[in-house]
Amino acid sequence: MSRPSRSSGRLASLALAWAVASVAAAEEAAPKRPIEYTPTGWLERMDQALTTRNYDGTFAHWQGGRVEMLRIIHRVQDGTVSERLASLDGSGREFIRTGANLTCYLPDRRTVLVEQRPAEESLVSFPTVNDQTATFYDIREVGHMRLNRRDTHVIAVSPKDEYRYGYQLWIDESTAMPLKSQLIDAHGQVIEQIVFASLTLSSRIADSAFRPEISTEGFQWLRNDATPHPQAGASALAWSATNLPPGFRMTVRSAQILPGSVGAVDHLVFTDGFASVSVFVERQSAPSGQPPVPESAAVGSSSAFSTVVDGHKITAVGEVPPATVRYIAGQLKAQGAAAAGR
Amino acid sequence: MNEELDSQLSAMFDDELLPAECELLARRLSRDEHLKARWGRYAIIGAVIRAERGVRLNAPLAGRVNAVLLAEPALTADTAPRDRNQARLRWWQPLAGAGVAAGVAAVSIMWLRAQAPLPGAPQVTQVTAPGQAIVPTASSAAQGDSYVVPRPKPAAVMVPSTELANYVVAHSMFSNPVARRNLLSAFMASESPAAGTQEPQSNVKAIAQ
Repeated sequence: MSRPSRSSGRLASLALAWAVASVAAAEEAAPKRPIEYTPTGWLERMDQALTTRNYDGTFAHWQGGRVEMLRIIHRVQDGTVSERLASLDGSGREFIRTGANLTCYLPDRRTVLVEQRPAEESLVSFPTVNDQTATFYDIREVGHMRLNRRDTHVIAVSPKDEYRYGYQLWIDESTAMPLKSQLIDAHGQVIEQIVFASLTLSSRIADSAFRPEISTEGFQWLRNDATPHPQAGASALAWSATNLPPGFRMTVRSAQILPGSVGAVDHLVFTDGFASVSVFVERQSAPSGQPPVPESAAVGSSSAFSTVVDGHKITAVGEVPPATVRYIAGQLKAQGAAAAGR
Repeated sequence: MNEELDSQLSAMFDDELLPAECELLARRLSRDEHLKARWGRYAIIGAVIRAERGVRLNAPLAGRVNAVLLAEPALTADTAPRDRNQARLRWWQPLAGAGVAAGVAAVSIMWLRAQAPLPGAPQVTQVTAPGQAIVPTASSAAQGDSYVVPRPKPAAVMVPSTELANYVVAHSMFSNPVARRNLLSAFMASESPAAGTQEPQSNVKAIAQ
């Protein structure tokens, strides 16, 4: 009962054909301009498109042989970013972000997480690839191809060491939206893939598009009502990494109260300009009597590693290989007078 | 939904619809959410039947589809119908009213069938030299015209705890746009624990040390 491959090929073509037809329609009015961007320029255009344009798309997320359909709606209106990411066929989870407020609906856990971030972190800005990034990644255009009736530039971002992952991106020539993206490990294997099935760029998206579809009756709501204070850390200690993978540097240090947490959590962000790793430091509530055991976890292709240092739980999370989060977490040290007493 | 439309969908799925009609139906699919959902169900069922490489559905849905399929004697390897039209009637008609909840755009499933790489598969296209014999592997030789409907396997994806969810969400604010989308999508797609499952004592579950 196997179907011929031409069936899938033709249907795939039809799929994205009608999907991006709306993109094409939206772009028709835009004047044609010569395409003379460098590979880095394409990445910057893509980042700008993803963060500043209004779009509504459905995409397939592939990871570990598993496929899930998700819908993303993104709007920038009066300087406020609204975004909704919803699982269409699995957990039913939804993320809805409006400005600095992020609400995460977890129907499978009957829980809603509400996180308020400082207004300046509302994602209006976006990271830009710089010269430093080019030192640790080889950024090249590896092809200019038609992808389901759309002209795309295929940009490969290849890491020069094993501390980070690479990307291959099919960037639509006229909209700069990535119609397909692959996350690639140090051995050249594709470990995660996103392919848009439909994508509509609009000048306006109604507020109603950012309302959750699920009922939250009986759900547990976890909020971080306290306003994070940049000076109110999890402890009086100053945490820093004694050594970092090449190219990584600390760009953010803040304290925040995560939904459901009692105390503040120190949040440090390390980035090489493209990949980033967050390290969370929180005081351990009570000694368990057993020696702490370092633990690893994964969310898709992202990695997490948790350990205990000086009575504080250190957890590193990032879209990097497991060895990188483990390395960074292991390099974190407390500095300050109080350290000796802990 | 009228029978003619149903038939057209089925024919489109079987690559038996004329190109012009395909175009028209594709346009209609883009506008009609109910039709899209129905088409998505056909694709899911088809993917499960064919045990597509690289396509794994979320376990509860795949389990429901499998349960219905396994109850269909016509779909066992020995009795699988050879005639495509007959096959089509056998697999989609009993399921048409089954209420399998999955508003998935089939187009994406179809696209991924062609695109999704296999875990661990090298990113190199193998080209057989002229005259070189292709030796069938044990699995391909054994496949013949039959197929095996896969039973859902436990997902290897980590179940994020609430605390890990917090970290993931907080970290996502500092990721580049593509990485953020990957991260949150993976979080969305991670398997849910069975009802009543306790939160692990340690909030970041160990997977390998």
